[in-house]
Amino acid sequence: MALLEVESLVKRYGTETLALDQVSFTMEAGEFAAIIGRSGAGKSTLLRCINRLIDISSGELRFDGVSVPGLRGTALRRHRTQIGMIFQHYNLVNRLSVIENVLHGRLGYKGLVQGVFGIYSEEEKREAVRIIESLGLGEQIYKRCDQLSGGQKQRVGIARALIQQPKLLLCDEPIASLDPNAAKIIMDTLREINREMGITVLVNLHQVDVALRYADRIIGVKGGTIVYDGTPDRLSSEQIHQIYGSEAGDLILDLSEQHYAA
Amino acid sequence: MTTNTRPVAQRIRVRPRNKANLIIQATLIGLLLLTLYHLATFDSRGISPIEGIAKTLESFRTLFFEPRLKNVSLGEMLYALSITVAMGLLTTIFGALIAFFLALGAARNLAPRWLNNLITGGTAFIRAVPTVLWVLFFAVAAGLGSVAAVVGMTFHSVGYLIKAYAESFEELDAGVLEALRASGASWWQTIFQAVVPTSASALLSWTFVRFEINFSTAIAMGAVAGAGGIGFDMFMASTFYLDLRELGAFTYAVLIFAIALEWFATRLKGGLGARV
Repeated sequence: MALLEVESLVKRYGTETLALDQVSFTMEAGEFAAIIGRSGAGKSTLLRCINRLIDISSGELRFDGVSVPGLRGTALRRHRTQIGMIFQHYNLVNRLSVIENVLHGRLGYKGLVQGVFGIYSEEEKREAVRIIESLGLGEQIYKRCDQLSGGQKQRVGIARALIQQPKLLLCDEPIASLDPNAAKIIMDTLREINREMGITVLVNLHQVDVALRYADRIIGVKGGTIVYDGTPDRLSSEQIHQIYGSEAGDLILDLSEQHYAA
Repeated sequence: MTTNTRPVAQRIRVRPRNKANLIIQATLIGLLLLTLYHLATFDSRGISPIEGIAKTLESFRTLFFEPRLKNVSLGEMLYALSITVAMGLLTTIFGALIAFFLALGAARNLAPRWLNNLITGGTAFIRAVPTVLWVLFFAVAAGLGSVAAVVGMTFHSVGYLIKAYAESFEELDAGVLEALRASGASWWQTIFQAVVPTSASALLSWTFVRFEINFSTAIAMGAVAGAGGIGFDMFMASTFYLDLRELGAFTYAVLIFAIALEWFATRLKGGLGARV
């Protein structure tokens, strides 16, 4: 059974704007897929439909056999705990320490009082420390998050997602605000999580070259519809051109040619 | 050097000649004329301005350089001061507790728009009416005294703090709320795990500002609404005993407390900011 099945998914903002139009695809457990497309093509909307940060207008979306569009209340929270998410701007609580931010990933499993007062079990704390150390942040464990570099913040974001013990990891432009060095560390980490922990990864990317290098599967989105879905090696320059529209300059073509040369 | 084509005689206007500027100028001229008229027709009852100023300064000198207690003992004065402080503290704590929960509904990033509008509209009305009027309003039900003063001052504190707290909450990055929701956290959990830690310093700072306001209002209420405390003693010293020296002692007591409060608030905020 596929982990994620999306069928004729439609997302409308208001009555006019059609953000997603009849999107269909399935993902098997353990895949590493990258969604590429121009800004405003519907990449972020697609990710947020999967964990229902935004409501779905019509169509079906099944995650691990559960139909997602109608979920409410506790059932919706339980659905979200199974999906980790990391963001372009990390979205950490800057005034709190690294470990406090990581433990936020456990809130979905908590009752009201425990969550409100931040009461975590020793087991959860041990797990948090283990994940933080495995991501190379052992020194920063009690540092406030506003004292970290961008790459470190993103690793805290990954740790917060991993402590959820997710089946799927959604990444919304995880490296768009990072320098190339930090970006490489983050992408390598994501690939490692995918290969070694078997967590399915779905990542939105602006950088076509990065998508081609890391992903097993490329989903090209344009104007709210999927225009390409397949392995990276079958993606031609013309298709990249089509996904990014005529304005896509030589840069993207250069990059894809580099990929073929490599 | 003859490139300037503008005739020398025509002066350059810096300020545009529009309706707003004309109205401001007309208002200023009107106020000036009114001031001159009042100075000319002032009824000074035969006391010359020089003499008047000298007597005022003499009163200030008595007030500030010869303070002493007569009708009230030191212990009684400190007790009266503590009543006023307690009134300020009580209204601030009540106000802060009520305002915290209502402000969650007034913050645009935390609650639906209709609730925002309902609460902000209601608090705008509460704040538009001065504290004294609220106290007098509640005095109809509770009678003049400390109960009316506490209820009325709490009422106005709530209106003030809701606005201040809600604006602090709105500073929080929407992405942080989204991230916690994405991990399955409930609304109350995101409030106490993300919103409160982020805005704690601002909340504390607004609460102290309100405590200072409530303390000074409590002094006035002691006299005006008969709520007791040092305000009532000051009222008696000034209008009943006509004793400037005793009034001076009370003024110093209030001043020392206000400075101590300010010092304490600054220390507390510094401590919170440095918390790891």
